Amino acid sequence: MNLLGFIARNALRNRRRVLLTVSSVAVSCGVLVTLQTLQRELTVPPESEGASLRVIARNKVSIAQPLPARQLAVIERIPGIVAVSPFTFFGGLYADEKATGFAQFGIDPERFRGIMVEGRIVAGDYEGFVADRNGCMVGSDTVERYKLKVGDHMRFTGTFYPVDLDLRISAVFKGTVDDRGVFFHHKLLDAATDGGGTVGTWYMRVESAGVAPRVIAAVDKAFENSSAEVRTETERAFQMGFMSMLGDVKALTLSVSSVVVFTLMLVTMSTMSMAIRERFRELAVLKALGFRRRELFSFILAESFGLSFAGAVLGIAGTWLFWSSINLQKLTAGFLIYFEVTPRIMAMAGVVAALLGIVSAIAPAVAVARMSVVDGLKTID
Amino acid sequence: MAAVPIVRVRDLFKIYRQGDLDVVALNGVSIDIEPREFVVLMGPSGSGKSTLLHIVAGIDRATRGAVSVQGIDVAALNESQLADWRNQNVGFVFQTFNLIPVLTARENVELPLLLTRMRGDERRRQVETALRLVGLDDRMHHRPDQLSGGQQQRVAIARALVTDPALIVADEPTGNLDAKSAADVLSILRILARDSGKTVIMVTHDPKAAAYGTRSLHLEKGEIVA
Repeated sequence: MNLLGFIARNALRNRRRVLLTVSSVAVSCGVLVTLQTLQRELTVPPESEGASLRVIARNKVSIAQPLPARQLAVIERIPGIVAVSPFTFFGGLYADEKATGFAQFGIDPERFRGIMVEGRIVAGDYEGFVADRNGCMVGSDTVERYKLKVGDHMRFTGTFYPVDLDLRISAVFKGTVDDRGVFFHHKLLDAATDGGGTVGTWYMRVESAGVAPRVIAAVDKAFENSSAEVRTETERAFQMGFMSMLGDVKALTLSVSSVVVFTLMLVTMSTMSMAIRERFRELAVLKALGFRRRELFSFILAESFGLSFAGAVLGIAGTWLFWSSINLQKLTAGFLIYFEVTPRIMAMAGVVAALLGIVSAIAPAVAVARMSVVDGLKTID
Repeated sequence: MAAVPIVRVRDLFKIYRQGDLDVVALNGVSIDIEPREFVVLMGPSGSGKSTLLHIVAGIDRATRGAVSVQGIDVAALNESQLADWRNQNVGFVFQTFNLIPVLTARENVELPLLLTRMRGDERRRQVETALRLVGLDDRMHHRPDQLSGGQQQRVAIARALVTDPALIVADEPTGNLDAKSAADVLSILRILARDSGKTVIMVTHDPKAAAYGTRSLHLEKGEIVA
């Protein structure tokens, strides 16, 4: 036997309590990992290679306010911009759905091909989409989910726009960070809104990431003091702003996570307190035999840390396996796409559990360190 | 020429504060105990015999007075030094055995050796020797709940012996034992003093147990009266 073996024997002496403690820590860690993953999913948009080259201009007053289509002529003359297309959110409901889990955008197909560079066409062809005014390009996830194919029709009921769309699938794309969207000719919207003349946003691709700040400033400046001032930002910043409309997701997950961590601390604290109180007499005997305060302190810390660590490993690994094995995109109708339990989140949960294990042991460890041998020996078993 | 005392206690006081009252547990006790003595401390409850034992063994501190064991001023040692000193110089035997329930007899006896620099095989040899001395070498893989009270106390004596201390203190070691087991335990303590050169100090209420000692001291109200 060595000291580590002795600590392990003590930690495992009450099997039922160990099982319950480790399970509690595991479940708490699982909830913590899930919450943090949810927060990441809702607040950190997935990044792609092309995202760093794309910028979006919207109305400075509000994203709900349209921009005049005539701005196109000014924007495309700004140095550094490789391509620019209108990009208007339609927000329709597919078929008879009450809520649709993918977005539809009106674009200029000719111009758009120079913007979404990372996607590839996996069915149909892009030229067909360009040529067909009623055609659309659909993400492969949506095609799979609704069992669609090239040539099928997709009907959308307008919610923002007083018009319904009947689109024919010309092409299916794949390889973007979100393969769910539907892109159609902006001209359809123009026609449906009495000739149009407005767009939702401008979607641009710049020459390089280095010129992006200059381009952003130039676009904003070009429409300064006009009737439709714009606010230009990178795709990532735009998505972050869009996500914030969901509410303060960070604050919500942080508050729930705090409750979980607090509960976790109560569980481990009460377990360690009980475990140590039961053994006060034995610990006094160890002191009498020559074990020093710091050794007993270390035993208790190691025991608590070990139980928390075991729970954390089980909880984190179990949660990772669980979320990796289910198709959350399908289950949530596309609301959650990746739900990736990252190493960073797992490490964070592990560190939280380990720290709580240590913190929970401090009070009983100090009590044992301060206990006199004589008082400890008087403790009734 | 008289032997040099292994334990020397001079003018020892222990005063507890209980609310507004001072309770005098030891009132100027002075004794000398020589090597190989088997000293029995007797007296009614609250007479201070266990307090005296605890102070001599270094698990309690006196209010004032001097205690030296093998020439070392126990009161001058700090907590950490005192722990090391106890590990090397004092063996404890308690009334309720106080074995660790999750460890086997061998592991219980090995506990004090975990604090030394001894190698595993040396520790094993020493533990087996200690258990053989108390007649329990055939029970070394049993846990305390698989042993009788007398056997548990013999394991506790082996644990007290395993570091080869000069002083063994026993606080009512037969209090929880039947007559046969008590006689076995007392015989072992007597052999340790007589044949193994240990100095034994034992607290007991039992005059039969006291008969095993080489000297009896009676305490009353914190003073040695006989």
